[in-house]
Formats: sequence, C-alpha cells, structure tokens
Amino acid sequence: MTDIIALSIVCLAALIHASFQLSISTLTLMSGHSLGHGRSHMRLLSLLGGFTLGATTMTTLLLCTLGLLLSYLVTSQQVPSVLWAASCGMLFGVGLAVWLFYYRKGKGTMLWLPRQTAEFLAERSKKTKNTGEAFALGLASVFGELLFIAAPLLVSVLIILPLAPSVQLSGILLYVGISMSSLLIVAMLVSGGHKISEIQRWREANKTFLQFTAGSALFVLGFYLYVNEVLTIPLAAGGLAS
Amino acid sequence: MTGDKAIDIVKSSGKRSTESFSRDKLHHSIKAACLSERSHDGEATNTADKVCDAVIIWLEQRPVVTSHDIRRVASKHLTRYHPGAAYIYEHHRYTI
Repeated sequence: MTDIIALSIVCLAALIHASFQLSISTLTLMSGHSLGHGRSHMRLLSLLGGFTLGATTMTTLLLCTLGLLLSYLVTSQQVPSVLWAASCGMLFGVGLAVWLFYYRKGKGTMLWLPRQTAEFLAERSKKTKNTGEAFALGLASVFGELLFIAAPLLVSVLIILPLAPSVQLSGILLYVGISMSSLLIVAMLVSGGHKISEIQRWREANKTFLQFTAGSALFVLGFYLYVNEVLTIPLAAGGLAS
Repeated sequence: MTGDKAIDIVKSSGKRSTESFSRDKLHHSIKAACLSERSHDGEATNTADKVCDAVIIWLEQRPVVTSHDIRRVASKHLTRYHPGAAYIYEHHRYTI
C-alpha cells in the first residue's frame, strides 16, 4: 500500500468520524445556554475554543494511545490479517448500527446513547461557565461517542502504524484535522453570529442523510479493506495474485 | 404579575413531586431562549412578558397541568413573536 492510498484511507475514516454528531450536539447546546445566560461574545468564543481544543485533545490522545497499544501487536511492517478481519467486522457492525439506530426516532437530533451519558452531557453543557469546564466537556463528548468512533479510529491506527515516522505524523494530523472539521465549522458559524436555531434546524433536516452516508461509508471502507488486506494477502502468498 | 400562582405543575417525568406555577421561572426560560437567538435584552424581556401573560390566561381555568402542557402552550405563543426562539425552547431537550 502506497503512502497516498494509506493517507486517503485515513482521510475517509476521519470524514466518517466527522459525520458523528455528539460533540456537535454538545457544542450547540453549550452555545445556546451561554447566549441564553447573556454571556459576552468573548466568553462565548473562549468556551467554543476550549470545547474544540478539548475534543481535539481527546481525539489525538485516543489515536495515539490506540497506536501505542497496537504497536505491541504489530511488530513487523505487516499488520496481521486477523487484526484486519476483526477491524473490518467492526466497520460492518458499526455501519449497520449507524444505519439502524444512530438517531433516536422522533423530533430533534437525539442520539442513540445511554440516556445517562446524554443527560450528563446536557447538564454539564448547561453548567459550563469557563474555558476549563468547556475543555473538559469537549474531552467527555468525544469519549461519550467512543462506541461509534472506535471503528474509524482503529482502522486509521492500523493504516498509520506500518508507515514511516514522518508519514505517521502526517496521518495523525490529517485524521485529527479532518475529524474535527465539522466541529470547527459549527464553532465558526456560532462565533460568526449565526442563530443556533438555524444550525439545529439544518442538522435535524439532514440527519437521515448524514446517518445514511456515515453508515454507507463504513460499509465501503470495510469492504475495501477486507478485499485488500484480508483476501489479497493469502491469494498473493499462494501465488494467485500478480 | 411576578408572583407564583396556586396551580400545581405535574412534572413530565413523574419522578419529581408537583410544584407551584412560577411566572418568574417561565419568564426566565423564555427570555433565555430569546437571548440564545441573539435578541436584545429588552426585546427578549418584552417577548417573555407577552408569552407569560398568555400562559397565565390559559392557566386560569386549570388547577393542575403538566410541565409539558406549559411548554407546549408557551411555545405556541412564542412562535407568534419569535419562531427561532420557539424552536429552541421546544427542541433543546431533543438535541443530544
């Protein structure tokens, strides 16, 4: 696998991560409460900055920690097929889960999360007053969605691990940058003066499309990796591939 | 009209006990919804006053209502003055 293909796969996985909505929902809620309490624009900016920085930090930490743990398993330049097979299974499973029940039925953008986690994040977003709390909320919001982001994270780590160190760094930066892009866009819209209701209405109107796209992308990525990393290697070893 | 009315509000979840209707509490939540839509403070206060008055008129013949009823009626009146704020007021619990 060339570096370009490897980084392209990382980009696709990061785009899938970016389509997940828990951090965006929490950011929207926090911004609404901050404006509702009549806090200044500077305070809103600092909260948005703290939250985005927190989410970015947690994503980087998760990616690097998973990389460190898997580096003990992947000792050579080749990731074991069994690990790829497990990752592909995870991609298919999460893809199906996203298709079937990422959003709860009914109005709004309620996510399929344990209600205690959702209520905790909603309550914390109401009580967030300073940058430190916003940073912690950003950390928690990424961690809360671990069930869904685990698959794209795992695949990205498996792709990045065998690369040269400088390309590994590019892969990490690409993943973190792209996966945070949706959050950054919403933060910029809020700080630029857009109404929360407009953002929330757009999210609600397009939730089915986002859900279908994320689920389909997980399937496409899983299928591609299964063919290239699980099926092709034994065929090549048996002299059946060119 | 800033005091509490002798009307019991049954909480929607059913987990908490009933409480008396508080105009201030309703006013605060409607004003917050307007402010979150970037209304000016005076405009938000005016809108909240109008909505609270309309809700109190609706409440006069009802000794017991649920918090969901209050939210629905307040939201209906708020839509006339500020549709964006009404959307936020009604939907903020369905965001996450």
